[in-house]
Amino acid sequence: MTDALHRLLRTPQGVLGLGLLAVLVLACLLGRSLAPYSPEAMDFAGRFAPPGARHWFGADQLGRDVLSRLLVGASSTIPLAVAATFSGALVGACVGTLSAYLGGRWDEAITRTIDAVMAIPHLLLALILVSTLGKGSTNAALAIAISVAPSMARVTRSVALSVRQQDYVKAAIARGEGAGWIVLREMLPNVAAPLIIEATIRVAFAVMLFATLSFLGLGAQPPASEWGLMISEARRFMHQAPWILVAPALAIATTAICFNLLGDGLRDALNPRDER
Amino acid sequence: MTLAWLLRRFFTVLYTLLVVSVLVFGLTQILPADAAVTLLGENATPAALAAVRERLGLGDPAWLQYWHWLSALLQGDFGTSMRTSQPVGPAMFTALGRSLLLGGASLVVMLVIAVPLGMWAALRRGKAADLMSSLVSYLGVSFPEFVTATLLLIVVADYFQLLPATGYVPPGEDLADSIRHLILPVVTVSLIMVAHVSRMVRSETIDVLNSDYIRAARLKGLPPRTVLLRHVLRNALLPTVTIVALDVGYLLGGIIVVEEIFAIPGIGRALIVAITSRDLPSIQAGAVIMAATYAVANTLADIAYVLIDRRIRYD
Amino acid sequence: MSPVLAVAGYSLDYVTREGTQRVLEDVTLAIAPGEVLGLVGESGSGKTSLAWAIMRHLPGNAREAAGGSLRLGDVDLRAASARALETIRGRRMSMVFQDPSTALNPTLSIGRQVSEVLVRHRGLSEKDAWQAATEALAHVDLRDPAGLMKRYPHEASGGEKQRVVIATAFACRPELIVFDEPTTALDVITGARILELFGRLRAETGVSALYISHDLALVARVADRVAILEKGRIVEEAPADRIFTAPAHPYTRRLVAAVPRPEQRLVTDQVRPRELLRGEGIAVRYRRKRLFRLAPPPATDHVTLDIRRGEILGIVGESGSGKSSIARALTGLADYEGDIALDGRRIGSVKDMDRTYRKAVQIVFQHPDSSLNPRQTVGDILARPLRLYGGDVATIPALLDEVRLPAAYARRYPHQLSGGEKQRVAIARAFAAKPDLVICDEITAPLDVSVQASVVELLLRLREANGTAYLFITHDLNLVRQVAHRIVVMRQGEIVDLLDMEMLRRGEIHSYTRELIAASPTPVG
Repeated sequence: MTDALHRLLRTPQGVLGLGLLAVLVLACLLGRSLAPYSPEAMDFAGRFAPPGARHWFGADQLGRDVLSRLLVGASSTIPLAVAATFSGALVGACVGTLSAYLGGRWDEAITRTIDAVMAIPHLLLALILVSTLGKGSTNAALAIAISVAPSMARVTRSVALSVRQQDYVKAAIARGEGAGWIVLREMLPNVAAPLIIEATIRVAFAVMLFATLSFLGLGAQPPASEWGLMISEARRFMHQAPWILVAPALAIATTAICFNLLGDGLRDALNPRDER
Repeated sequence: MTLAWLLRRFFTVLYTLLVVSVLVFGLTQILPADAAVTLLGENATPAALAAVRERLGLGDPAWLQYWHWLSALLQGDFGTSMRTSQPVGPAMFTALGRSLLLGGASLVVMLVIAVPLGMWAALRRGKAADLMSSLVSYLGVSFPEFVTATLLLIVVADYFQLLPATGYVPPGEDLADSIRHLILPVVTVSLIMVAHVSRMVRSETIDVLNSDYIRAARLKGLPPRTVLLRHVLRNALLPTVTIVALDVGYLLGGIIVVEEIFAIPGIGRALIVAITSRDLPSIQAGAVIMAATYAVANTLADIAYVLIDRRIRYD
Repeated sequence: MSPVLAVAGYSLDYVTREGTQRVLEDVTLAIAPGEVLGLVGESGSGKTSLAWAIMRHLPGNAREAAGGSLRLGDVDLRAASARALETIRGRRMSMVFQDPSTALNPTLSIGRQVSEVLVRHRGLSEKDAWQAATEALAHVDLRDPAGLMKRYPHEASGGEKQRVVIATAFACRPELIVFDEPTTALDVITGARILELFGRLRAETGVSALYISHDLALVARVADRVAILEKGRIVEEAPADRIFTAPAHPYTRRLVAAVPRPEQRLVTDQVRPRELLRGEGIAVRYRRKRLFRLAPPPATDHVTLDIRRGEILGIVGESGSGKSSIARALTGLADYEGDIALDGRRIGSVKDMDRTYRKAVQIVFQHPDSSLNPRQTVGDILARPLRLYGGDVATIPALLDEVRLPAAYARRYPHQLSGGEKQRVAIARAFAAKPDLVICDEITAPLDVSVQASVVELLLRLREANGTAYLFITHDLNLVRQVAHRIVVMRQGEIVDLLDMEMLRRGEIHSYTRELIAASPTPVG
């Protein structure tokens, strides 16, 4: 594990990604105490205050400090997206492994069904789910988890199938090992690495999808300072105060970049290749 | 390409649509909305509500409702919109036409930019150009469509007032104006795909450049241009066909958001309207049509792949 | 007469993350007109790097030391511009690659790939070039050259493809051709035919060649002179007929000693005809019939064979002969039809393979990289069969010692081991079960000759100590003739020959076996 961290720190993507991740984690954990103002504190005199010494990122239509709202909003965006991705990924991984393990007709049926489900665009699936389950952050996260699962199942299956072809798995079968040992001890550790990489990159998508749902009014609800929602609210004032909109936009992009970089860094770090 | 292979592809599309229809119908059935109330309004009398429920078959078991819906669907009847009381089918297909214009234009723009960008980055691997292109692709995949769209609106339409902000003009009406209205939506939709596809083209090209047959072509004394155009291009582009086909799913998702922001009356906007007004027949029809578009696009890509690549085996 | 190729004082480095690594050190060699120089070295010796250096196609991290020179006739290759090289490559020097299946562009027709070099260098029109290319294909003994021209690489066999590559290399009558292991990826008999073809073309055209290979016996047959490369240095250069009889350098002597000589038996004992395992009518099929698809022919077609206690039974055959499918059936990795009997106990299907059977029959795979789980330590890997079959985990150091590995290796991960070491761990894992039979599936194929020799020596010692029987599956007839008590020869899923050493000596063999023997180069002298 420390070995992988070392290798991660040797790639430029890894360093940059980990650095950004540290900032984001800090914002999620300590956002409320780091924020210079309360995110709900209104100040009518300071409405649409441009970025400056008083408000680093400016103030919004109600005079609320944008930086404070961003910092507090981090914890209502990122942890949910991460949790949604990883729980969806877990379900997908189980289905994918099962499919690869069963093989034959079952595998074919599962794979075809997954492919069919993926014919519905992620966003549309999430939209239908949220409109079914009702608006709100938790339901949006659930919808994201469900829409992540099929593609993760597909990735897992193909990785598991290639691992299954490896001679060490054949050796375990020839040795007369039980199915449990083969799946858990021989295959899983080798399937895990590519899945972690894939899931990390998908966190970026989840953050974006979550923000999109909030933007469309189906995710987080006002007065939350979720970033997508902030953009949605700021749209009406983009003529007077573009900073209210640009700041959360950059926050979303930075988060997505962070997880993309991290995923790419992990790809290099977890696959010890020939150094030549 | 054998007949058996085509048949299998055809059955795959059918199966996809079957699964999608079950899924969409199942999801929308558990929508916590009483269709009768939606149709008649909150103040309807219980008797009127009961009559409507009877007419719509809302008292039937779910599978029977599904069967009625599906058999109507197969006869081209998508039902009647609860919002407008108009048939859903014609409205959705008109909207689909506008979306296909936006999607098709985005796809073309994306390919024109992404393919040369990816190949250029691969050829200058590790140099400034490569770093530039990977920076572009990191930024590209990290901006959701609604952010890109809003930022473009602020800068291009609002600040510089170069292009109209929102709206849709049919190409038959005023071609120039139609194009002017399409530019920002197309840029928004294609940006993420440019980022994704150019990275794929880059890595495919690098693989091809490292292959024995490219070495062999160089060692035959062929000039670099010939090697690139005759030997590298086709092999690097083949896998891209599949990737682009899979990205069509992403494209359709992007279209939903972009149509909403730029007020384009396409199928994505129709879906959002349907979802917010809980118009079940429209949601069902829109989702099935979108999934069908995706399935057909993928099948066409598969057929194109087989036609270009002689190696493909039919299984 | 001035040499066609002259390499003088040439050194080459690769820049890696770990620093600069020298791959070629002060290499000097010359090839006279019409001469074939063989270049022999083990993996990592730098032989392919030298080929790239001559062809001026070095990877981006290569750094050439100042001072060395590479000359093709009157041309200083190192000073030649990129444009000048384009007119030299393909016309004055060309190259034949190891694997014909990757050396041809999969999306261009064969005709296009042969004719483009004629268009480029002989200035022919597309139509004339096509005609000339068809003739060139006919000249390398390809059947139906006009039809082949229109086909794509995947529609031709490996041997046909390599002939196409050779026809392309000879198309512009170059002065020098660099061959990089041109027969290694091919089956024995196909490879032998390719060498015959090369001999004929060489006599016709008087071309000079640098013939690179790991196979000393083969090079000694093909080349006029042989240069031995060890870690980037040429340690010896001698006429081909002297390299086996009078090797001068210690490294050459080690190499010569490691080359299998079929007449030198390594196993001298006799085994009594006590049957250990019997396979009766074994057939393995890999795909079933499906909708729209017919069932393919079986990989092995009702094969019957028996293995005696303590015996080494060799199975030889080319790729696709079904020899590995037998290993899969016997270890329960593939469903089979027919009967297996162990010590007279009937095993009718994979389900009947209980712990006793699994313990008795162990397998070692071909690729050591994939046969050890990369996320487990050597200790974990060896502990598993011990726990499973009632051994003692405390014997791991002894087990490692038996395969001549230090006890400290138990804590290492597979990627920290060399190929030969990994194969030793795989062998130790098989012997941890105290088996009666170990199936060795091409276990020496990916290893260098010297490593191969030590692995074989290890196997023989383990057999002496434990009385284990081996099913030794290989394509290397020379090696199997050194060690096996009996040899099974397979072709297209069927056994064509089953012989013991006495029958082999008397020449009572099938014509196919005779062909295989003729195609396997043995040390000269």
